[in-house]
Amino acid sequence: MNVIEVKNLTKTYKQLKAVDHLSLEVHEGEILGLLGPNGSGKTTTINCILSLLKYDEGSISIFGEEMQPNAYHIKRKIGVVFQELAFFEELTVYDNIDYFCGLYIKDKNIRKTYIEDAIHLVGLEEFRKFYPKQLSGGLKRRLNIACGIAHKPKLIFLDEPTVAVDPQSRNNILTGIETLRKEGATIIYTTHYMEEVEILCDRILILDKGCIIASGTKEELKSLAHIEEKVTIEDVALEDPQIKQIRKLENVEEATYQNHSLCITYKQGKNNLIALIDYMKEEGIHYSKIYSERPTLNDVFLELTGKELRD
Amino acid sequence: MLHNFKYTFITLFKNKALIFWTFAFPILLGTFFQMAFQDIENSEKLHKMEIAIVENERYQNSPIWKETFASLSNENNPNPLFDIFFVKEENEATELLKKDEVVGYLKLEDTPKIVVQKSGIYQTIFKSVVEEIQEQEILYNAWVQKNLEDHFSGNSQTPIDATWYQNLYQEMIEQLNTETKVQDITRSHLSYTMIEFYTLIAMAALYGGILGMTAINQVLANMSEKGKRMAMSPISKGKLVFSSVMASYFVQLIGITLLFFYTIFVLKVDYGNHLFQVVLLALVGSFAGLSLGVATASILKVSENTKIGVILAITMLGCFLSGMMGITMKYIIDKNIPMINKINPASMITDGFYALYYYDTFDRFYNNIVSLLLFSFLMLALSIIYLRRQKYDSI
Repeated sequence: MNVIEVKNLTKTYKQLKAVDHLSLEVHEGEILGLLGPNGSGKTTTINCILSLLKYDEGSISIFGEEMQPNAYHIKRKIGVVFQELAFFEELTVYDNIDYFCGLYIKDKNIRKTYIEDAIHLVGLEEFRKFYPKQLSGGLKRRLNIACGIAHKPKLIFLDEPTVAVDPQSRNNILTGIETLRKEGATIIYTTHYMEEVEILCDRILILDKGCIIASGTKEELKSLAHIEEKVTIEDVALEDPQIKQIRKLENVEEATYQNHSLCITYKQGKNNLIALIDYMKEEGIHYSKIYSERPTLNDVFLELTGKELRD
Repeated sequence: MLHNFKYTFITLFKNKALIFWTFAFPILLGTFFQMAFQDIENSEKLHKMEIAIVENERYQNSPIWKETFASLSNENNPNPLFDIFFVKEENEATELLKKDEVVGYLKLEDTPKIVVQKSGIYQTIFKSVVEEIQEQEILYNAWVQKNLEDHFSGNSQTPIDATWYQNLYQEMIEQLNTETKVQDITRSHLSYTMIEFYTLIAMAALYGGILGMTAINQVLANMSEKGKRMAMSPISKGKLVFSSVMASYFVQLIGITLLFFYTIFVLKVDYGNHLFQVVLLALVGSFAGLSLGVATASILKVSENTKIGVILAITMLGCFLSGMMGITMKYIIDKNIPMINKINPASMITDGFYALYYYDTFDRFYNNIVSLLLFSFLMLALSIIYLRRQKYDSI
């Protein structure tokens, strides 16, 4: 069953087309990743889906019904964690969660349980009575998430929830999202961190300039890239003839040498590293480090758009 | 609704900047007013002045002069204006003046003769009083003349003696009082600095608009991140706005009440005896401030700090024009551009208190109440046009 269906969504800001005839479906119980650089239209798409923004054309349905600003029965089942922090500096951690949860859950006893669950999920047990100004950036992000999901929504929008957080908080947040999915929530996750998308998402949509330029599982997306392997050698001294010789090795697509670092991409094959090491030994070339990588979503994006995800 | 009311109330109450502007600042300003104006008032307070009167025949035979000066120097009068030295000869009065024992002396000749040694507020008052009595004497003489003519042209049997003149005098005074509708303005603290405290209340009421503005900003998706979260809740925008506005009004009323208590019990400001009207004006004035804040939040698409600046600027300008920095400004505006004070909520509140204190009728007071309500409804009507939007072009 599709929880969300968006068809032909278009949104323009004066001359700029922020979302360009975008269509997507979100299946029940999945985590859908919206991946794209800043300004690619991820947040605008979400705001249109949530009926916060007017759009020029297209249709949006959630839980099988048209989404409207006054569709309160739909909103009751939705939780949103916006990119910017949205809580009250004047309230404690507990009161902030209680406030936002109380907009959905009237029963105080149920609410109490839900608040404790949310606090536990984001790991804020020790900070219940803290005011936001007493929290670090990472803890504030966790509070921001708790305020958005405490009412146990069936559909959750997470818009860049890990921007500028420390590794500990990031891990905590990612674990929390996994837990929410296990509890049955459907999640739309926007980010420009490809590693997070790879870890979390069942399906990924890559956006650029308001359009979906690729979609599928991470494996499906990676298969779109023409490279199969990427090898990097660091602190290496090479002569031009040696570089030319390396470029002639089997399956090599491209070899670039910069700042004593050699980066080789291979069209296909998985054991290209052995042939390269043999050549280096033969030539008596010394290096400090050598490693092999599989193509990333950034490589896919680079290949599709000619620019980096974080450009 | 109650849930949102409760938390909006808490967040507003715990916001230090808001509480400073709406609670502490008016109290501080009131204290400064008191400190500044108390000295001015004390230095300008009129004391009983010593004068000399040459008690010649002309004075002895003039009931108007005698009775008026007797009244103005009467020991039973709580605020007698004069302490009079009656002398037989003018040189005695001159002597007293030279010794600086009197501010001046009066000798009635064909016209009154006032002699003073220097110019000042006391000498001016003395001169004004004499001129006033002289005018009354002219009126009295004309009145007597008319009554004498009537007496002789008619068949009156009443003898013309001292009692006849006395009755005529009383009759004239009563008629003058009726025609000019003289009002009782003998309240204990009659003071022009009262207007400063009235504008202070007006300022506090309008500053309350900051509370309304903040509360509305919190629930609008195009104004704050919290507003986006609220917009996604299953509570209708109308309920959120209403409960937030009510919470801010409640906080505002607490602030106004504190200010009233402080000015009444600490600063000893007298708001008159019309408690119901004072409370009504405070409620309606605060409502006007709230409406101003709601309109600012709804209509202007600028940052919260800029909106606070707009409300502060409107309020301060309004208070300035209604006499906060000197009552002269209120008179200048009333005289030259009365329309400004008719649309200025600070002036409506100030004038409401002014009317309550200085007038015995409530017409002017209720005109101000109606004007404030009209202003509030206009602001709210404008706000509703903007608040009705459910989706935004950009957020």
